[in-house]
Amino acid sequence: MLSRVAEGLYWMTRYLERADNTARLINSTTQVLLDLPTGAKFGWDILIKTAGLDHLFFKHHAKTDENSVVRFLVQEEENPSAILSCIQYARENARTFRDVLPMEFWERINGLYLYVQRHAKSIGGGRSQRYEVLHQVIERRQSIVGLVMGSMSHDIAYQFIRLGRNLERADMTTRIVDANAAVLLPADEAIAALTQERLWMATLTALSAYQMYRRHVDVHVRGRDVVNFLLKDIHFPRTVGHCLGEIEACLSELPDHAVPMKCVRRTSRRIAEMRTEGLMPMALHTFLDQIQTDLNATHSALSHQYFYLYQQSFMQQGQTAISSPLSA
Amino acid sequence: MSTLVDNYPLRDAYDELIGGEGFPRPATRPLFDFLAKIDAGALDARRQAVESAIVAMGITFTVYSEAGNIDRAWPFDIIPRIIDRKEWVRIEAGLKQRLTALNLFIHDLYNDQRIIKDRVFPREVLASSVNFREQCRGIVPRFGVWAHVCGTDLVRDKDGTLYVLEDNLRVPSGVSYMLENRRLMKRLFPEIFHSNSILPVDDYPIMLHDTLAALSPRPGDRPVIVVLTPGIFNSAYFEHCYLAHQMGADLVEGSDLVVKDDCVYMKTISGLQRVDVIYRRIDDDFIDPEVFRSDSTLGVSGLMRAWRKGNVGIANAPGSGVADDKIVYVFVPQMIRYYLDEEAIIPSVPSYLCMYDDQCKYVLENLERLVVKPANESGGYGMMIGPQATRSVREQFAALIRANPRNYMAQPVISLSTAPTFIKQNLVPRHLDLRPFILQSEKIYATTGGLTRVAMREGSLIVNSSQGGGSKDTWIVDTEVG
Repeated sequence: MLSRVAEGLYWMTRYLERADNTARLINSTTQVLLDLPTGAKFGWDILIKTAGLDHLFFKHHAKTDENSVVRFLVQEEENPSAILSCIQYARENARTFRDVLPMEFWERINGLYLYVQRHAKSIGGGRSQRYEVLHQVIERRQSIVGLVMGSMSHDIAYQFIRLGRNLERADMTTRIVDANAAVLLPADEAIAALTQERLWMATLTALSAYQMYRRHVDVHVRGRDVVNFLLKDIHFPRTVGHCLGEIEACLSELPDHAVPMKCVRRTSRRIAEMRTEGLMPMALHTFLDQIQTDLNATHSALSHQYFYLYQQSFMQQGQTAISSPLSA
Repeated sequence: MSTLVDNYPLRDAYDELIGGEGFPRPATRPLFDFLAKIDAGALDARRQAVESAIVAMGITFTVYSEAGNIDRAWPFDIIPRIIDRKEWVRIEAGLKQRLTALNLFIHDLYNDQRIIKDRVFPREVLASSVNFREQCRGIVPRFGVWAHVCGTDLVRDKDGTLYVLEDNLRVPSGVSYMLENRRLMKRLFPEIFHSNSILPVDDYPIMLHDTLAALSPRPGDRPVIVVLTPGIFNSAYFEHCYLAHQMGADLVEGSDLVVKDDCVYMKTISGLQRVDVIYRRIDDDFIDPEVFRSDSTLGVSGLMRAWRKGNVGIANAPGSGVADDKIVYVFVPQMIRYYLDEEAIIPSVPSYLCMYDDQCKYVLENLERLVVKPANESGGYGMMIGPQATRSVREQFAALIRANPRNYMAQPVISLSTAPTFIKQNLVPRHLDLRPFILQSEKIYATTGGLTRVAMREGSLIVNSSQGGGSKDTWIVDTEVG
């Protein structure tokens, strides 16, 4: 497998996963907004914080009203993590290795891109229209994942696709948990408890985990249990624990994996040893920060191990590779 | 009610569907019957379905002038162009004959130059050839073959004679569209394929693979083949991906390759891997900055060294373009006679060479009747169609010819045959040509039919996709079975 292609596959999947995550996040936030008790303050800025895009957002916008935030996250050119940008990067990347993917892959990613390009503007046309468009994004992206799983050999190329998906997913899950834990609650205790429950429900919904949480953990949504579930559970495909397991499995299929493998295992250990009983929000935040640093270290390690040969030629020429306009 | 075919106007040119007496030609009978039964609305629905399939499948090509918009949907006409298998058998033999002679010629030029010593080919043509690579002198590639992939353009004149218009021996493109056109047609007109004996075209990728594999310097192993592309901004990028995919080869860019100890390697996730054969889709000028253009970032330093030492196969071999020259073209019938002792099966279009004073004089006196072409342009750039040119354009060309006669040749206008094309719910005649692809290394092979390119504008003779041309599926139909 060419280094360039491996890197491209990895980033392509990260972009797609990011677009998918953002779409889910917007839709679930819209839902929770309808359910919040009166008196509970809820800001759309939580989405910007979750995505880690505060700085960029405030460079271009003064207010975090629904429209500005959603437009920024879906289609604004200044935002390289916007759904439209992500899908466009993914498509441009896919173009450079159409040869290693199933033929229909290109048809579908191209179809997804054309769809978003055509409909991105209509998300301003009201919540139900927005819901439908974002739902389509999720559905079409699901069909791409399905295609890859069902009609591509689980070869080296496949492992890089899987790596990108799981790293991005783990990163997003930690961000979502972190953002929710940081929400300031109303002073009234009863309302605070209700608000918190709603917010954790929204978190689970954003990760399509609500149903599975109820089935496997509890019908009551309690912060500590949700954090435990989203970080430690190994069976639900969006938990950090599961993603780390996937990354380990991918790496074990790749040659010369010692260094990145060490990074992942360190993270897994850290999560296994974490105690959530009586954990204060600040401590949780510090812990999640550490996990994100770990994930970045894993990214750097595998990038150095597998993409370096190719990146090197660009460093010599003083150019940048098309494959990494986003930071990890 | 009048049908689509009733309203089909016949022109002065040879029509591929309808014969001289207004009846369909034998091989086109089933298509004619189909068109006579279907109404414009139903046909238009199929057209729309094809067009959305093209967009969805991302069958694109790139137009250089459209910065920012690098994709254009492939313009495709749904009415196929049909050739009788009886005729095709002869054409196929002619194509193989031609490429065989051309390869003997290229090899001769880079080695003994017998054809020049025997005064069959003029030394001054070689002396002024811009595609002759001095750096390739004395090299003996495997099988003595230089041009492994050739796209030969054929046109049909008024009387039905097929002529060779040119041989594309550098990096001919279009074969992926030939294959995709067929896939589209089978997807949208399955019933016609069911009732016709249309010969399949899809063996091309395998033949290309075998042609390339035979060039491997390490026979016995499963050779590592790569397709070398200049990247996503190249007009044929779609094709580069497509062929790599179809052959199970790696699609590489120059920066993926490196030469060490005169062997070529690609940069992989587990280090450097040896490359045996490169199907390059980059012009000679750019493949090796060490030998050719030093400012090229598309190629690989040291590639020529590796090739010269026989450590890697390159298709087409550097320097093959010497025979892809509109002046050299004029000498192909002589080459066939000289090397093969045969007469050319497919004739060339009669041509006037401006390098000869008497022929140049004739050209200058008859510009309004002739097509003038520069020796080394491709894609229809830089040529003049006399009858359609304004006086000032003709004068401009006269000056160009006088300034550099070796660079120009002229031919009478070939009317180009027509075939029905579905435009705005009507069948209308449009001019077309045919580009079959011929492969040669250990064995020789020609595609079944080829890529039919069609000028979508009324009366236009320019079929190049870079200038608004479209394409059709090409059917070689066996009229003796079924």
